[in-house]
Amino acid sequence: MSAERRTLESTLSRSNLTGPGDKYEYRPTAVMPDVKVVKIGGQSILDRGRAALFPILDEIVEARRTYGVQVVLLTGGGTRARHIYSIASELEVPTGVVATLGKYIPMQNARMLQMLLAKHGGLYILPDDFEKLPLYMQMGCIPIMSGMPPFGYWEKREEGSRIPPHRTDAGVFLSAEFLGSRRAIYIKDEDGLYTDDPKKNPAATHIPRITAKELQDKGLPDLVVERVVVEYVQRSQWCKELQILNGLVPGQVLAALRGEDVGTIITG
Amino acid sequence: MSDLVSGDGRTHIQSRLMRESLQDRRVLSKTVSERDLQIFPDVSLVSIGGQSIFDRGKDAILPLVDELVAIKRDLDEKIVIGVGGGTRVRHTISIAVDLGLPVGGMAQLVGAMEELNAILLNTLLAPHGSMPMQRDHFWDLPLYFDAGITPIAISVPPYHFWEPPPDEGHLPMHGSDFGLFQLAEVLGMKQVIYVKDEDGLYDKDPKRHPDAKLIPRITLPELLASFPEENILDQELFHAWSSATNLRRIVIVNGLVRGQLTAALRGEDVGTVITKPEAS
Repeated sequence: MSAERRTLESTLSRSNLTGPGDKYEYRPTAVMPDVKVVKIGGQSILDRGRAALFPILDEIVEARRTYGVQVVLLTGGGTRARHIYSIASELEVPTGVVATLGKYIPMQNARMLQMLLAKHGGLYILPDDFEKLPLYMQMGCIPIMSGMPPFGYWEKREEGSRIPPHRTDAGVFLSAEFLGSRRAIYIKDEDGLYTDDPKKNPAATHIPRITAKELQDKGLPDLVVERVVVEYVQRSQWCKELQILNGLVPGQVLAALRGEDVGTIITG
Repeated sequence: MSDLVSGDGRTHIQSRLMRESLQDRRVLSKTVSERDLQIFPDVSLVSIGGQSIFDRGKDAILPLVDELVAIKRDLDEKIVIGVGGGTRVRHTISIAVDLGLPVGGMAQLVGAMEELNAILLNTLLAPHGSMPMQRDHFWDLPLYFDAGITPIAISVPPYHFWEPPPDEGHLPMHGSDFGLFQLAEVLGMKQVIYVKDEDGLYDKDPKRHPDAKLIPRITLPELLASFPEENILDQELFHAWSSATNLRRIVIVNGLVRGQLTAALRGEDVGTVITKPEAS
């Protein structure tokens, strides 16, 4: 065999990149650490319409205008996502196809928010526009995108489910992690974590702060945020906290955007 | 007709998942069934290695292109081709690690290196009927096959800036081996054939250990039970495969030996054949 591999010398040139074991020094650089990555829940907020959404948007605009907080908004899906997931599951389509279907509804929701926030600099962006965030931030815009990460057909199947494990909560966390932002903020319709689903069990009590590990160890059948996020926050580089708050309570969104500990903080 | 349901401040559409938490395992389990719809069960995916084939240049690439042309002419097999990026990917990541770029940044960068090999391959195969396929234009595949055009797919999965934090270390986990596996899995393909520069999978890296033994045939559970420390394929691929439902067969062949790829496409046991038994 006369043809030799022609290799560029580098730290990893002899690595097969197929697993751990490589030795290298890594001193991470934060991309845009001041940006707050904020999710507007689908089922919890957007499906409630004007009554829930408008006061939240007012607080976001105030945070941006009055306090100069840099915000990127990401949207959830909600009941229309559940509807298509339900039909797709009946048809036994693979998880990667379900994840692709799941992209469309958060996209609609992001476009709705853009129409509402246009007069305040609301800008609908796609994953490919991520590198233009510095410009949008400098111009005082509020970029809005779908919370769904772009995995689509490449979303892995998870044991015991056909629903994609990375949905809009994951997209929010992973965006914050890439940008080097310390906290991912989730605006929902509950004050964060409870010992049980407060919509179904009135005896459930609120948990203001908990570690991701403690939460995992409880082995709850249900969670307020996607499971992968609780897993990732424990080994992330930058995003070490998840804040889940109740957007239906006046003042909570503004407080969270100004860095206050409202709702529940899950720490990595 | 769908019914809209309100009364709790939200407007729902009637469905089995209405009002449910999609984090609830009890809810999620209702979405599973034993099978997946298999979209292209008669298609094989052929993955051509970056380091193992392309980095060797003309002497390795041209004979393999000849073999692909002969396969197209002589075999009645539908194939999709994907390529790896090789040493330029390692160089990119080495620089990115030194700069401290986030893992998502690395994942965003590497795809370009694979694409160079895809363009090179297409340049050579185009006169015989090939075309680069856009990212997720899978629904064009019947058209490609009807027209006798071999699609060359993008191999790096679009995790990009959203690459999850790796289990260990700081490098992206979802490379081209995984990307092509996942493509075959989601489309319910017949098999994936990885064309490398070794006769298959060994118990250790044969380039470093002359006493390494070839594994001609193994099942996925057997492989996971005694996973070789140095593996010719991404580890993540095997993790993903174990929770997948569609793909049953992965073959690793030597692209430097004429005829191995052809034999694998004929369904013969060459190189290393890894099979996943039906759910037990």
